Amino acid sequence: MANAIEASRLDVGYGGRQTAVKVLSGLDLTVAAGSFLSILGPSGCGKSTLLRVVADLLDPLGGTISVLGDTPHAVRSRRDVGFVFQDSTLLPWRTVRDNVRLPLGVGQGSLTRTIEDRSDELLELMGLAGFGERLPHQLSGGQRQRVAIARALLGQPKLLLMDEPFGALDEITRDRLNDELLALWRRTGTTILFVTHSIAEAAYLGERVIVLAANPGRLIKDLDMRPFKQDGNRCSREDAAVAAAMAELRGALGQAS
Amino acid sequence: MRQEPLPPALAIALPVLGAASILFSWQFLLPWLGVPAYIVPTPTAIFGVFQKSLALFMSNLWPTLIEALAGFVIGNLAGVLLAVVFVHSRVLQAAYFPIVLFFNTIPILALSPIIILIFGLGMTPKIVIAAVICFFPTLVNMIRGLDSASDSEHELFRVLSATRSEVFWSLRLPRALPMLFSSLRIASATAVIGAIVGEWIGSDKGLGALIIQASFNYQSDRLYAAIVLSSSLSIALFAIVVLVERRVIKY
Repeated sequence: MANAIEASRLDVGYGGRQTAVKVLSGLDLTVAAGSFLSILGPSGCGKSTLLRVVADLLDPLGGTISVLGDTPHAVRSRRDVGFVFQDSTLLPWRTVRDNVRLPLGVGQGSLTRTIEDRSDELLELMGLAGFGERLPHQLSGGQRQRVAIARALLGQPKLLLMDEPFGALDEITRDRLNDELLALWRRTGTTILFVTHSIAEAAYLGERVIVLAANPGRLIKDLDMRPFKQDGNRCSREDAAVAAAMAELRGALGQAS
Repeated sequence: MRQEPLPPALAIALPVLGAASILFSWQFLLPWLGVPAYIVPTPTAIFGVFQKSLALFMSNLWPTLIEALAGFVIGNLAGVLLAVVFVHSRVLQAAYFPIVLFFNTIPILALSPIIILIFGLGMTPKIVIAAVICFFPTLVNMIRGLDSASDSEHELFRVLSATRSEVFWSLRLPRALPMLFSSLRIASATAVIGAIVGEWIGSDKGLGALIIQASFNYQSDRLYAAIVLSSSLSIALFAIVVLVERRVIKY
């Protein structure tokens, strides 16, 4: 299996098939398995919508999409996809550990494989050992987002979809979580689709960055970041080459909005 | 500028002192101003009649307590169950919610004679009246509560392929609990009101009947004592709801 996602002529919209407002129009996109793709674009460009189609939360109006060589629905039923939202969506009445364990408690009926309780291991991995019995409101914003990532990783998904997960965090926490996410990606080999509106974050994280334009959402820039970085998608934030790539992305975003 | 919070000792002492000052002026200021005892009896007179006729008050407290409690349980349960039906069927909600809304605009005092006509003079009509009063706020709050989970929370459950009943038990219901409890707090007072209103219209037992008899007979001390007892009953119910709420909702 070479590609995690293959989409062609993808149309997505809200409302009926005839009267729909198109959010994405004629999108062609191929994402290699195991890669880290950043998706950048102005508000309303359909970047979150794209994630929702991949996660089988939204049906496309036209075109085809295959995820991990299968339909989005089959992939969701197998629990091969993890989703991290902008707000951590932790359930406030559950402890941190029980939030991470949520995937064990629901949706088991349609599940075709068994999922182990790796909550302790994941909490430790995310630097949250000892926080298992806390309630979400006792955590900082960054810690809550770490819990959300641990929850998404519980089922060992092959594909991790992240919708501006660090958008509400302060810059220092955000930088730290960026590094943790990269380390996680290197260790697990999970394909990651990462939506953000920060050029710096997109360039720092992605092996590849795509820029979408709005009204209707379409792909206007597809930049391979590997030439700008060292092996293993490593770079420093102050690197001149990365800064040049960011300038290029900024130019494309300027046209997009 | 916002005021500093009071130190804990004062936060407890001040309301006690406030109540004491009111009781003190009631006891000594009102008679001194010449307010007659048949209009406002003094606190000691009210307490005296309590001691004197304790058996009478207790025998009238029981029916009201049972009616209020039964009405509280039935009315809130009906509100919760109908809310569950409504949030799962937009069709039923669209068809019947306006009728429930209309029903709620009928003043309970106007509705009570009809309920007594239907259910007779026993405890049942009082329970029904108390239940009707509790029902509507709980229905409305529960519908809002069950619908209060965010879009991303619903998406999270969808990504996990959760069933409708899992979404209900693990997301919608716990999300609704804070709002349910705020309507239960209100219902703890209104259930007692409902029972008393019912007894007022047609009964010879209960605190409501006692209030009516005492006022017809100009037994002001007995009237005031019955009022104190009814409000204590509401406060006790309210306190139970708050205690349960603190155990259930920890966040």
